Amino acid sequence: MTKPSSIAYALVALLAVALIPLLGGPYLTSFVFALLISFVLAQSWDWVNGQMGYLNLGHYAFYGIGAYAFAILLTRDAGLAVSFAGAVAFATLAALLVSFPLFRLKGDYFAFATLAIVPLCELLANNLDWLTKGSDGITLPPHYVLVPAFYAALGLAALTLLVTLGLMRSRFGYALRAIRNDEQVAEVAGVRLFPVKAAMLAVSAAFAGLAGAIQAWQFSFIDPFTMFNLGVALVPIAGALLGGSGLLMGPLLGVILFASLQQLLLVNITHLQGALLGLVIVLIGRFLPGGLLRWKKIAAHPAFAWLARESHFEREMTAGGPAAGALPISEAVIDPERIVLQCEAATMAFGGNVAVNRVNLTVRQGEIVGLVGPNGSGKTTLFNLISGIYTPKSGRIRIDGRDIAGLRADEIAHLGVGRSYQIPRPFGELTVRENIAIGRTYGRHKTALPDAMEAADSIAAFVGLGDKLETRADHLSLQQKKALELARALASEPKLLLVDEVASGLSTVEINLFVQHIRAIRDRYGITVIWVEHIFSALSQVVDRLVVLESGSVIADAPLAEAVRDENVLRTYLGSAHGDGRTAEARP
Amino acid sequence: MPLEIFVQVLLSGVLLGGIYALVAFGLSLVYGVAHILNIAHGTLLAVSGVVASLIYLATGWHPLLIIPLMVAPVFLFGYVFHALLLRPLAHRGKHDETIGTVLITTGALIMLSDLTGFAAGTTQRNIPVGSGVFEFGEVIVPTAQVWILAGILALTIVLQLYLKHAWFGRAVRAVTQDSLGATICGVNGPRARALTFAAGSGLVAVAGVLYAIVYPVDPYMGFSLTVRAFTIIVVGGIGNLPGAMIAGVMLGVAESFTAFLWAPKWAPALSVILLLVILVLFPRGFSSWKRA
Repeated sequence: MTKPSSIAYALVALLAVALIPLLGGPYLTSFVFALLISFVLAQSWDWVNGQMGYLNLGHYAFYGIGAYAFAILLTRDAGLAVSFAGAVAFATLAALLVSFPLFRLKGDYFAFATLAIVPLCELLANNLDWLTKGSDGITLPPHYVLVPAFYAALGLAALTLLVTLGLMRSRFGYALRAIRNDEQVAEVAGVRLFPVKAAMLAVSAAFAGLAGAIQAWQFSFIDPFTMFNLGVALVPIAGALLGGSGLLMGPLLGVILFASLQQLLLVNITHLQGALLGLVIVLIGRFLPGGLLRWKKIAAHPAFAWLARESHFEREMTAGGPAAGALPISEAVIDPERIVLQCEAATMAFGGNVAVNRVNLTVRQGEIVGLVGPNGSGKTTLFNLISGIYTPKSGRIRIDGRDIAGLRADEIAHLGVGRSYQIPRPFGELTVRENIAIGRTYGRHKTALPDAMEAADSIAAFVGLGDKLETRADHLSLQQKKALELARALASEPKLLLVDEVASGLSTVEINLFVQHIRAIRDRYGITVIWVEHIFSALSQVVDRLVVLESGSVIADAPLAEAVRDENVLRTYLGSAHGDGRTAEARP
Repeated sequence: MPLEIFVQVLLSGVLLGGIYALVAFGLSLVYGVAHILNIAHGTLLAVSGVVASLIYLATGWHPLLIIPLMVAPVFLFGYVFHALLLRPLAHRGKHDETIGTVLITTGALIMLSDLTGFAAGTTQRNIPVGSGVFEFGEVIVPTAQVWILAGILALTIVLQLYLKHAWFGRAVRAVTQDSLGATICGVNGPRARALTFAAGSGLVAVAGVLYAIVYPVDPYMGFSLTVRAFTIIVVGGIGNLPGAMIAGVMLGVAESFTAFLWAPKWAPALSVILLLVILVLFPRGFSSWKRA
């Protein structure tokens, strides 16, 4: 819960700003008005950048689209309410339309493509004379609306802040942050990517569009240059980054500072305002990667501690803290006849390299299967096929009887496949608890976020991370990251757990502990496990069956005791030297 | 359309595309090697063009003399700009690095345009070299344009040969493909990136002078060229100069015909739409698989 005092602070601040049109002059009022609009733009941009990790350089286009939709509707006597609604509708529609092509792209290519949207809109505004009056711009009926426009902007800004807080505390918000950290892992953890991304872009565009409409209403004149000028387009972005992208108060603080500076320049300098503004943007880019609020001197200061907080999920702590031992997973009775995984001639090739070659594999409920083979024999590729990262070139894979052909990775996760990565891929900027909670809330059983956070504590305790709940995942040691991988996968309550090389780098004691975990997972909760591992002494303690891959093909699939006597297996594992009889016996 | 008009429009498109390609070369190398989205790239052309036209106005020197005069300081500017502002970003996380680059190059765009506008005025300028014409039947082509086109072609071939065979060219290609791998093999990655950024800037200065001979320039026109150059390198393949040449000429010809058959005001839309379409069809770039 938010503390009553912070609600009181917020209300006092809101009231103080609300008094400005009554007590301050028109100069102050229009300055604060511009600031509010700029904040809405900066913050709504930052939902996509700071939360979701997509650098949208075309955000300003939605502002312009909103302004134009509003002005066009209003000049055709559509009425104020309809014009505002139209602005929101058109901006949202535009965002949904571009989200289909744009979200096929990642990283720099996404930035490339969004960069092109603003000039395209400017061109359309300039050229579609019949609609936009071209470069002459649209003049609205002259009414003095500064005060109502001010309150509209204030309301929108307050709503913007509330939405930001909501994103920080919601399941949806955690989906965004999972996407920002590692999109593929987010999908494997059960987040359906496209609707989340498109929805966020659409909401962000709706706010920008409404801000544009309010601006057009207040200014009563728009033209392509003011609406789509690159120099202006990046100012709100610079503001958000100045304060601290992704932080609750970052964009607000940054916009206030930036707008004040801009105003100072405007009043005191007659020439080269643009150049100075550009210089400020350059300096922000060069010296403030995380924004002012993440600057050590500020973040460490107690007065700013709340402002600099990365996470705003708050909850009452349960007394005594998490207890190790029990997992918040329903216990299951193992039905040894039930087939959890069935691969039929599954094949995957990269170019001419056949990584997985007609693999047949049947795994029944409650089995622990060791999957071994030399480097490059296709173990991880097989995992990627089962978890839906790759689509098999031919053959079939069934999870619990269901053919996964055509299913996305998140759908496969919801069928009950959990996996860990050989090279750990935690959501690095999130805490251990948040990492596990994402696996939980988007797992097989959709869980409310507070319950998922609760469950995360005991899962963390189970894998030995009970004292690291608040630690950022990228600050963990390699072993701890591997434990986190396991915890996140377990949190989703999988039916089938794919474990990819966790033992390398662990001490004997740690390995034994891990083996105990795997056994407990199976015995208590009926979870089927496939474990890829090179450290044979670890596998041999717990697996029922050994499947051996070589060059993508299964060369042995037998109970452990038989497999270790198989000539093929020994040759694969110990090399040809074994055949010469010069090697010591294989130690089971 | 009569044949001679067709050829006329085609030729002016080829010339336009050649200059676009030259703009794209620099961006392509810079993005390929240094992974820098240089939003100010086209603006550097605009500034070079304005300064070159002022020099021409003041001295009347031959443009061939003005080119080296422009290249040296712009090369130096690129080197210093990279060393002071962009190079320190390399140790950041990928997303922070991209954001830093975008802010710095956008800030530079605004500064360059505003400073040039302040110092030289915002009016359109050009380098009005008097030139004869070649006549091929009904088709009339100014000699200057033919020489420019020949110059661009020669430059492309020289650059391509340099990248393929010279030691530093190979080093640059190695860094493009795998920066860490190249560093392990003894290539000084940071130096290669800095010199590539400087060379990319120098190339755009050449393009600026040539552009100003044929078309008007002003301090604020750069960004639309940057968008075109982005389109070209995405279509032609990042780091792939012949690919950029082909893509540039295709874009120039398409714009030329759009302007002639429909209206000049719609020609700039082509590059943006083409960029979006290509990115949608080939999310990792049109020919990212065949690098130079």
